[in-house]
Amino acid sequence: MNPLLAAIALAVVAGTVVAVASRDARVAILGAAVALIGTPVLADPLPAPLGLAGRFVGAILAAYLLWIVARDRGRGRAPSAATGGSRIGWPAETLVAASAFVVGLAAHGLGAPAMGTSLASATGFAVAALAVPAAMTGADVLRVGIGSLLLLDAALLVRTGLGGTPDQLEQLITTGAIVVVAGALATLAGSARDDGTGGFGFSLEGRRRRRREADAHRIEPRIGDLSR
Amino acid sequence: MSLLPFLLLTGIGAIAVVALRERQPVATAVGLAALGLAVLAAALIRPDQSIVIGTTGIATTDYLRVFLLLATMVALLLAIVGEATEGRRIVPAAALGILASCALALSLPDPRVAVLAATAGGAFGALVALVPDAGRMGATVGTRVLRATAVSGTMAIAATAWIGRDLSDLAAQPIVFGLAYLAFALAVAIRFGAIPAHTWAARLTDAVPETTLPLVTAIGPAALAIVALAWADASIAPLALDLTSIRFVILVVAIASILLASVAAWIQDDVEHVVGYAIVGDAGVVLLAVAALDPAAWAPARIWILAFVVARSAFAAWAAATRATFGTGRIADLKGWAIRAPGLAVVLALVVVASIGLPGLAAAEARGQLIALVLDGPLAYLVILGTLSPLLYYGRLFAIGIDRTGGTTRVAWRPVLHRLDLTDVRASLRRAWADNRLVTATAGAGILAVLALIVSAGAFGGPQAAAGLPPTIGESVESFGPGEPVPASDAPSAAPSGEPVSPSPASPSTSPSPAIPSQAPSVEPQPSS
Repeated sequence: MNPLLAAIALAVVAGTVVAVASRDARVAILGAAVALIGTPVLADPLPAPLGLAGRFVGAILAAYLLWIVARDRGRGRAPSAATGGSRIGWPAETLVAASAFVVGLAAHGLGAPAMGTSLASATGFAVAALAVPAAMTGADVLRVGIGSLLLLDAALLVRTGLGGTPDQLEQLITTGAIVVVAGALATLAGSARDDGTGGFGFSLEGRRRRRREADAHRIEPRIGDLSR
Repeated sequence: MSLLPFLLLTGIGAIAVVALRERQPVATAVGLAALGLAVLAAALIRPDQSIVIGTTGIATTDYLRVFLLLATMVALLLAIVGEATEGRRIVPAAALGILASCALALSLPDPRVAVLAATAGGAFGALVALVPDAGRMGATVGTRVLRATAVSGTMAIAATAWIGRDLSDLAAQPIVFGLAYLAFALAVAIRFGAIPAHTWAARLTDAVPETTLPLVTAIGPAALAIVALAWADASIAPLALDLTSIRFVILVVAIASILLASVAAWIQDDVEHVVGYAIVGDAGVVLLAVAALDPAAWAPARIWILAFVVARSAFAAWAAATRATFGTGRIADLKGWAIRAPGLAVVLALVVVASIGLPGLAAAEARGQLIALVLDGPLAYLVILGTLSPLLYYGRLFAIGIDRTGGTTRVAWRPVLHRLDLTDVRASLRRAWADNRLVTATAGAGILAVLALIVSAGAFGGPQAAAGLPPTIGESVESFGPGEPVPASDAPSAAPSGEPVSPSPASPSTSPSPAIPSQAPSVEPQPSS
């Protein structure tokens, strides 16, 4: 096992733990950035320099778009909004990640010889184990969004573990997909932050079925109105 | 490469609209202009061209051209109807982004890369939720769309990665292939908002105008479905494994979507929910094609997808025009709409014919072929009845429409023409646009309905394009139909269905005919039940 790759895998998992456990939005985004930047390096052999550079730029751009939303205080000039954070605390999240890492390492190849490094599969499992609860049970835009972004990142890691190092076109498309997802998330998070004082929290209306009331109808002008 | 102008136009157009979003009229004009130019660019796409990038590349097909041409025309007409009925803010940007991602997804021969492009399209679609309410509610709904997209993308990436390598030493073949197949099929179901994964789509329907729905729940997911069909036909179907239980699960989702969506649309009290569930119901037919796991479903499925996208967009445009005309979307408040606005009644009648289909229309025949491929006996008749069940809610809409208690006064339908004031052209044009909004909306819906009808009939070369092959890097093999012999140039990669083939995993799609698998890993076939 390549110790450098192991260190990067550790960094990616640690970044994910921070991303899903922290209540400070900026710290969570920093954790997600570490995970996104480390992901393309977790390949053996390393990707071609151009593709790798593209992934780095994409990861940094994705994190920066989110950072802008978390950094700015919005139109209400309220304090920087917080995100939900972990319900079970970072030590428990770390243990979940460690367990999933071991499972991923043991299940490397999923029944057949894999073309990539086992560390990518293991890290992918760990990231997925942390991202799924954040995406599914989160109650604010940023937590669910970061969970979704990390879920995609986990799939990309497992894909690298199974299929080997992606080629340059795949790196380019991956970069585009991550930037688009992060850009959409940043736009949504900014919209939530700018609306009232609820920070990134969900609204009740968008979570449950809305019962449509009767629409307002144009009132026909009355004689009295016309004569004025 | 004739696809590049389309990609550049849609990509740069989307960025330009987002950059100009603070100047709304300019952003709208730029968005509409970009969509108009994209129609031209789509029409100029030439099949059988490819660019090699790294070990793969992108390639054009005739179906890519037809799909993009129709999708771009639909997006442009929906944008015009949307502008005429209510402001659409950043919708042109989302539409352009979705079209760009569809173009990439359908031109990438490697499904592992194509699903990434299709996933990016879903992320663009999440922004549509901010159209009516750029606040917390829009963000909440958009986040749900984004989550559904991410979950779907994750499943599709994992499925394609699992199969996209040499699996000669695979221990548990049916389980592995079955799970990968199930994952990709469910990914498609989630993206369409098929029942029971329809909650996000229902909340989206609550929040956004009707004209934006087809972008998110029809056009974007359709690209993923086409990728899924190509992948399943090339990677799973040739192995002749016993996947009955897996196919059963997918069939349940498909049939539930077809039947229950019609019931849900029938009992809704507003037209936008009827549109939302109508899209889900027709998406169930696409899932039938995925469940077929048979190369024979390839062409009918792709014909149906073309008709589905255009017909449901026309229905959405009709709903938007009706809401704008009568100032309400509540069905109970629309009494007499067909009497008061006969133009809208004609539009809905065309939509009914295009979506339900008549015997002989290409879409109806394709749907019948798909059902026959997947089901037989009483269940097949039940599903055929299910595909006709939209007549229930169409009938309800028409019944409300001819109810004279709502009044019989005709609404204005003729264009209002003013003399152009050359001293203030801008004000003159603005007034002309304001006075003709409803006429524009109805006309846009009408054009879409006519387009839906002729696509349903098989125009634009849809059936011929649908029978073609997925994108292929290198020599063109697009020109022959499904029943014709395979060119000699493809012979080395050809193998009868069920026989082991061992392609290079690094270039998984050198000859991805549905009947001539190239992505199929080298495994021993098992008897199919």
